Parts: sequence; structure tokens; C-alpha cells
Amino acid sequence: MAIEEDKSLQKSVAEIINQLSIILKTALIHEPTNIAVRTAIEKLLPLLNPMIESEKGVTLELIGEFFYINNTRVRYALEYLLNFDFLTKELRRREAGSIIFNNLIRPADIQLFIKAFIASGLSDAPYEKMLSMMNESQNIKIDKIKKILEDRLKKIGEGEEVDTRKVIKKTYFNAVSFTKGVMNKIRSGERVDMKKAKRIVESMVDQLLEDEHLLLSLTALKDYDEYTYHHMVNVSVLSMALGLRLGLNRLALTELGLAALYHDIGKIEIPYEVLNKPSSFTDDEWKMIKKHPIWGVKAILGFGRFGSATIRSVIVSFEHHMNCDFSGYPQVKKYTELDLYSRIVALADQYDAMTSSRVYSRTPIPPDKTLSIMMEHAGTKLDALLYKFFINMVGIFPIGTLVMLNTKEIGLVYESNMAFADRPKVLIIIDDNGKSVRGPITNLSEKDDNGKYLRTVIKTLDPEKYKINLAEYFL
Amino acid sequence: MEQTEDINIVKDILQTILKARKTLKMYPQNNPMYIKTLEETYNKFKDFFDFKDELSFKIGQNSIFYDSEEIYHKAEKEDNLALFFFKDGLRELTFKKGLPQEELEEFLKIITLDFERETVDEDVVTLLWERDFQNIKHIVDDTVLLDIEGEDYEAKALSDSKQKVSDIEGLMKAYDEEFREEDTKEVPIISFTDKDLKILMKELENDSMNKIEKLSDILFEILYQSEELGGILEDVLRFLKNTIKFSMGQGDLKSVIQLIDRAKGLIEDPSSTEDIKKYMKLLITYPGSEEIINLLGEILDSNVKIEDDVFMDFIKLLDKRAIVPLVNVLGELKTFRVREKVINALIFLGKQDIKTLTMTLNDTRWYVVRNIINIIRKIGDRRANEYLLKSIKHEDIRVRKEVIRGLGELGGEEALQPLKERLDDIDAGVRIEAVRAIGSIGSTLAKSIILDKIDDKDFKGRDFEEKKEFYRVLSKWKDDPGIFDFLTKMLKKGFFFLRARNYEDRACAAYCLGLIGNKDALPLLYKQADSGNKLLDDLTQIAIKRIERGD
Repeated sequence: MAIEEDKSLQKSVAEIINQLSIILKTALIHEPTNIAVRTAIEKLLPLLNPMIESEKGVTLELIGEFFYINNTRVRYALEYLLNFDFLTKELRRREAGSIIFNNLIRPADIQLFIKAFIASGLSDAPYEKMLSMMNESQNIKIDKIKKILEDRLKKIGEGEEVDTRKVIKKTYFNAVSFTKGVMNKIRSGERVDMKKAKRIVESMVDQLLEDEHLLLSLTALKDYDEYTYHHMVNVSVLSMALGLRLGLNRLALTELGLAALYHDIGKIEIPYEVLNKPSSFTDDEWKMIKKHPIWGVKAILGFGRFGSATIRSVIVSFEHHMNCDFSGYPQVKKYTELDLYSRIVALADQYDAMTSSRVYSRTPIPPDKTLSIMMEHAGTKLDALLYKFFINMVGIFPIGTLVMLNTKEIGLVYESNMAFADRPKVLIIIDDNGKSVRGPITNLSEKDDNGKYLRTVIKTLDPEKYKINLAEYFL
Repeated sequence: MEQTEDINIVKDILQTILKARKTLKMYPQNNPMYIKTLEETYNKFKDFFDFKDELSFKIGQNSIFYDSEEIYHKAEKEDNLALFFFKDGLRELTFKKGLPQEELEEFLKIITLDFERETVDEDVVTLLWERDFQNIKHIVDDTVLLDIEGEDYEAKALSDSKQKVSDIEGLMKAYDEEFREEDTKEVPIISFTDKDLKILMKELENDSMNKIEKLSDILFEILYQSEELGGILEDVLRFLKNTIKFSMGQGDLKSVIQLIDRAKGLIEDPSSTEDIKKYMKLLITYPGSEEIINLLGEILDSNVKIEDDVFMDFIKLLDKRAIVPLVNVLGELKTFRVREKVINALIFLGKQDIKTLTMTLNDTRWYVVRNIINIIRKIGDRRANEYLLKSIKHEDIRVRKEVIRGLGELGGEEALQPLKERLDDIDAGVRIEAVRAIGSIGSTLAKSIILDKIDDKDFKGRDFEEKKEFYRVLSKWKDDPGIFDFLTKMLKKGFFFLRARNYEDRACAAYCLGLIGNKDALPLLYKQADSGNKLLDDLTQIAIKRIERGD
């Protein structure tokens, strides 16, 4: 019953955000007094006011990529995605992070909010404009957006509370260590415990739900000795992050994460010398490599327990190299389309493999260039729609991309920006005087007093070419 | 609350949890004990939350602490609540104010599970995580999941990684070269459209569909490539069997049917190798194995709905090897409505091999034997007589009756002698069934047997209803003049002794004449209608009316 209540509450709060977004969208097209706007307001009030009444006020807050209502995170609602995105983007543009509804709201309060919203969009100091206009209202207040990354780093610096980054690193390395253990067990013919694997993935799901950027940043580091295990975990993290964007729930994310974690498990059958061969593969070696999806099926089904997570993992292991147009391997006789999870994992797998240095091509490709290459395959080998979501997730300049800014600074992309894919947060490593530095972290969506962006990426550089060890900056 | 008082209250709550753990394990959800215990536990929490906002337990290997005070300790492994949590890495458990009873019940259900014995795919932490409780929070130590002892993977990886220091010179070179460097190919910003979202919604909707078919597709694809892969057929067979087992467990008979159809297709496909055919032949017998049929029984008894036509399509996959396990399942089924399904299945399979079915008549459970006989009756195969006759002296009256009914329906002169013996069975009900069965066989010998028994000196002493049934059966030979004569003689018969019994016999004869409906009997019946014996008069009146109306 409680779970049902929670679901219903989640639905109500998602509807509130959706409706608020609709009002603002409509107001950008029509006058605030137009019937379309008024009708949209009329729809919002019965959703919002009962909550204000029972909770003695409602605070809608944008923290990171997520909305919170009275400190409860609003679960991702796929049907509202476009409207959520719109509201996120527009609030960020105005640097407004919170909307506080103190008392029961009347249509006039919303009309005022609309006016402030529109006026601030045209202002050079949007937040200040909006704040000054909203001061007229007793019932609706706004607050500035919280810079969570900076807050977090501050916390770490002062050694206060839980060090989120440390916890996330622990989760990540536990997953890698566990994966290594699984591979060793399979080699020695021991039984693999699916329960433990689930636990590992659940921890990663928790971290992703908490703050996906931190875990994603760890996937940007490729220079480990034990590439295979890191790759398996990276693909799992990237797949789950994409799944999160698609609106998968926690249980589905766990199954996806597990399937992704085991996608390459068939490689256990390939001799170490072949897998780590410094030169190109012979035809026979390629033939062997192409069998790993099938060996994966055998390994996973050999775990013993047979459940829906196992079946998902089998499907992904078999299909992750098949390509949407069936141009990959293994070749099949009678087959329908690829499974959704396989298409997700294929994207994550290619992205991580191409940006790493221990794959068949040997040369790592910078993240942004990797995305360009992948784009050429979207719609043929790769799923075009999922690719869109993938780009939206990693950003045009994914975490770990070495970028040159128009300020003559060089930086590393530290955190992507869902609202402005080309304006991530960047850690400056060479300042405008050409001096090697470590920080600050700067948000490329920040503007000067004239409304011009303070910094813009003018080109990307290849960290491999310049021997940049990302671990120095990310760990 | 004082601290000591506080600890005592928490100790009491923990004891209530332990008690609830036992009770909820023992009783079903609707049992008053279950309900009472749940309410009691909930009320303890509720009382505590009147004073405090949360209740936090710290978990040690053999102890549970509250506010650094040990409130539970058990050195033995068995039934150790601390260890139950600790072994899966659970280190802290916090209940928060506002905890609803439903959430507490869900929590208690989790701790009643026996993870050692039950086939649970998750550990206690995963189950807590999956429930996503709003008012019960937990903290875990995930290092229990790692097997590589003595290695701090994180520290090693970090140290290795950081050793590879960045090349500052390289970095400066990048800076100097900045404008000579070629631009990256731009990735355009792609925004989502409503159409995208609709496609995605559809994708997610489709994704929730059954994945068994997909798994089967994959396993068959591997089969097609088995020659190239070498030595994988044995594994694929095992995996396909596991797929069948899993599907059965889910009540997904359709997937099993599809899978077996594909296997049959491969057997018939001339391009299949002999090896593939051999393994597929092994596979198609698997649905009829004891293991699978037992699963079928479990699923039938559960709430999973299985359409009748799907069920019968599944049964059509089976052969005579499934008969014995199905009979066993029939004996174990708890739900009446599904017994009929299994009986229908056995009728279908029994028609293919009546001998195997009759072998199950040796079952020690009388109700199973009775069901088998019922099935044999429905099959209607006279070859079953031989086996039915073996059970005609079964110790259970209900079985004897069913055998006799069966013999009556299947007919055959060879059944008459054993049936004749049952006319003297200790049980009147069996004797009645026997005379009915003899009547159903309907031969001259059958008629003689009944007449002889009526003539028997002991017959007179039997209950009226039994005797009446003998006469009713005799009416089957209504066109036989011998029977008509026998009855008229009986109706006229006079006795000096046992007058009451005599009236009973005469009443039976009158009743039988009525059933025969021969108008020639009317004069005699009119005469008897006023005999002064109520029984005789009543039955005579009935007979007269019946003949006059021509019923």
C-alpha cells in the first residue's frame, strides 16, 4: 500500500512539473492572459494547491539533473521528458534553482511568475530580474541554483560529511575487482554467484541515481593495466546511465547493468596471447574473437541459476556485436530484431572500446571523435534513436575530453550538461597565461554581464597524443 | 525516555520481531495468529515512535546493538538474526517514524525467508533494496562481495594509474600548437521530437514482453552453428532443457510448445546433421519427464492461469512416458478445478497407451485409483477390462464401485463372473453398482445372473431399495417374454411367512412391470392395487399410471 502511495505521489509531483512547464511553454507563444495559458494554469492549481495545503508549502528544486519536491527526488517520467528538459533548460538559463510555493496559489500568482519568467529571459541578469519581480509575490518565491559540484568539492576539501567521490570510487573499484573475481572463477571452473553480481550492480544503480556524473567520470579513465575488467564495468555504467535517461526503473537498470557487465564474458575462452596481441589479428584469430558472444552465452548459462537477469545477460552477450542491420557477428539464420538492452550495450561498448587503448584498433580515439564515428553508424549498425539519447547523456564533449577554449585555456571536460550539451563543466589545466594549473572547474554555460558566454570550446585535443593522464585529474 | 527504559523498550521490540519472524513463517497471511502478531509488532514500533523519530540497529556478526548497547547476542549459527543480516553485509538497519504496517509486513516477510533452503535468487540486502522502502533504511558493507583476498584492488589501481604522470611538456606543446591543430568533426546537437518519444515508449512497452522466445532463438542459432563450434551440443541441450524448466516455472506453456515445435522441425529437416537430430530427439521427450510434469502440477495448483487449449496443446507434446508422472501429480493436486484438466490430459494420453495407464492402478492412494478407473471409463477401451478386473476386489469401497461402473460400460462377457461375485459384496452400494453393471452388459447370461440372484433365498432379506434396483435393472429386458412371466408370477406369489418381505418383492415386481410398460400387465396390476399393503399399493398405482400414460 505504501509503495502504491509512493507511486501515486511520484505521479502527482511529476504532473506538477509537467504542467508548470506547459504553462511556461504556452506563455512563450501566447500572451499570459490568453485562454490557452489560462486553461493551463487552471489545470495546475488543482494539482499544486492540495499539496501546498497538506505539506504547508511546496519547494520545487533543480539539483544537478534532477527535480526535487520538498527534498524528495522526482522520479524520471518518460512521457514528460520534453517538458522536464524544457523546464530544466529554462531554469538554468535564468540560474533559478528553486521555486517556493509558500501559500495556496491563485491564478494571479502564476501570471506574475510568467511575466517574471519571460522578462528574465530577455535580461542580461536573468536571475536578478526574476528575483526582483517575484519579490512582489507573497506566495511564490525563487532561489538561485545550487552549484552542487562546487558544494561537493568544498565538502571534500573540508573533510565534512560523507565524501561522495570516495564512496563512488569505492563502488566502481569494487565492481572491477568483483568482475576480475568472476573471470577468475570461471577460469577455474568455480560457480559464479549471480546474487553477488546483483549487489554490485545495485550499488552502481544507487550511485547513478544519486549523481551520475561522478560515476561516469570514472569511466573516462582508460589507462588501467586490467583493461578487460574496467571495460566490462565501464560498459555497465554507461549502459545504466543511458537506461536511466530512457526512464528505466531501478530493477530494470539492475538487469541492464548486469547484462552489460557480462557482455564480454565469452572472451574468457580466448587465449590471453590472442586477446592482448600487440599486432593485428590473423584470420583464424578473428574467427576466434567472433565466437566470444556465443562463448558468453555458454558461460552465463553455466552459472546455474536461471532467471530473468540471466536471460537478459545471455541475449546481450549474443547480440552485442550483431549490429542493428545484422552486418556484425555472429551471423544468424532465423532472427528478428535486436533486443533493446543489446542495442544500448552495443553503443556503450563501442564508445568505451573506441576511447580505450586496449582494443583491436590499439589506438584510443578521443571521446568527441568517437561520437562522430558512431554517428556515421547511427541508423545502420547502431540504433539511431538510442544514439540521440547517448549523445544527450555524454554530451557533445564527453567527460575526459581535452578541450581548448576561446580564452586560450586548456581544460578537461569534468561534467556534462544535460541542458546545454555543448557547454559542459571544464577543469582548467592550462590557464590563459600558458601555465599548468589544476582548476578551477568552470561552467561553460556562465555568461558575462553582457550576456556573452565567458568561455566556449573552440576545438578538442587528443589527450593520448599529449600524454595527458586523466587519472591525475579525476581520481 | 530514560536511557535504560529506552533500551528495554528496544529490546522488547527486537524480541517482538523475533517472535513475528517465527509466527509469520508458520501461518498463512489470513490466519488470525499472523494478523495478531503483525499488529502487535506494528504497535510496538508505533509506541516507540511516539517518543523518537527513528530506531537504528547496528549489526555485528553475532550481536545487534542499539545506542552501543548490545541488545541481542547469539553464539550459535542456527536461527541467529544478527548473523542472518551480517553475512550479506548488512551493518545498519533504521526504521523511521511514519513506518506503515504494510512496509513492516514486507520487511518481516523478507526476514522469514530461509535463504539456505529456498530457491531465492536474491540475498537479504537485494530484497531490501528492491522493495525500496521509504521508512526502512539500511547500510551495507559491499566488501563482503569481493573474493580476491589480500588484494586492495582500488589502492593498487589508483597507485598504478597515478604513476603514469602527465607529460607537462606534451601538454605545453599542445598549447603551442593550438591553432595548427585540425578541428574535430562537429557532432550536432540533436533534440528529441514527440515522434522520438512515441517510438521509445513503444520500444519500452515491447521490451516488457517475454524474453524466452528470444533465448530460444539464440540457442537454436547456436545449434545451427554447432558443427563449427564443436562439442557444444551437449551444452545446448542442457540450456534448452533449462529454458523449458524455467518456462514451466513461469507457467509459460506457450514458449515450451514453440520450442518443442522447433526441435521437431529440426528432426524433420533433411539438412540437420544426425547429431542435431539425436539431441533434438532427447529434447522433445523432456516435457514429459517427472521433473517437468511436477512443475506443471505446481503451476496448476498456483494462481497462474493457463488456457485450456494451451494446456491441451502442451499435453499433445507428451507421450506415454508422461502418464506415470501425471498420475502422481493428479494425486498431489490440491485444487479440485485443475484435477479435471489433468484427467483430460490422461484421457488423451491413455488413449495412446492404455497399458501404461492401467499400470498405475497399483497406486496406493485410493482416490488416485478411482480417478484412473474413471479415466479408463472415459477412454472406453475394452482392452482395459483385464486390468480393471484386477482391482475389482480393491479394499476401498469407492474404488470397487468405480471399477464395477467401468466394467459395466466397457462390457464383455468376461466381466460377468467377477461382477456376479460382487452381487454378494459386503457393501450394498457395491452390490447395486454390480447389478447395474451386469444390466449394462445386457447379455442373456447377464439376465440369468440377475434372475438367479433374485431367486436366491438370501435375496429376500436385503433392503428394499437394493431389491428395487435389481428389478429396475431387469426392466432392461422389457421385450423378453420370460421376464414378463417372471414378474407376473412374482406379483401373484403368496407366502405364509415373512409377509412383509413378500410384499416388498411383489412391490418390486409391480414397479418393474411399470417400467417395462407392457399393457398386458394392467389387469393383474389393477387387481393388486387394493392389496391393503401400502408399499405394494403405492408402487402398483405408479406402475399403472406409467403404463396408461405410455411413459
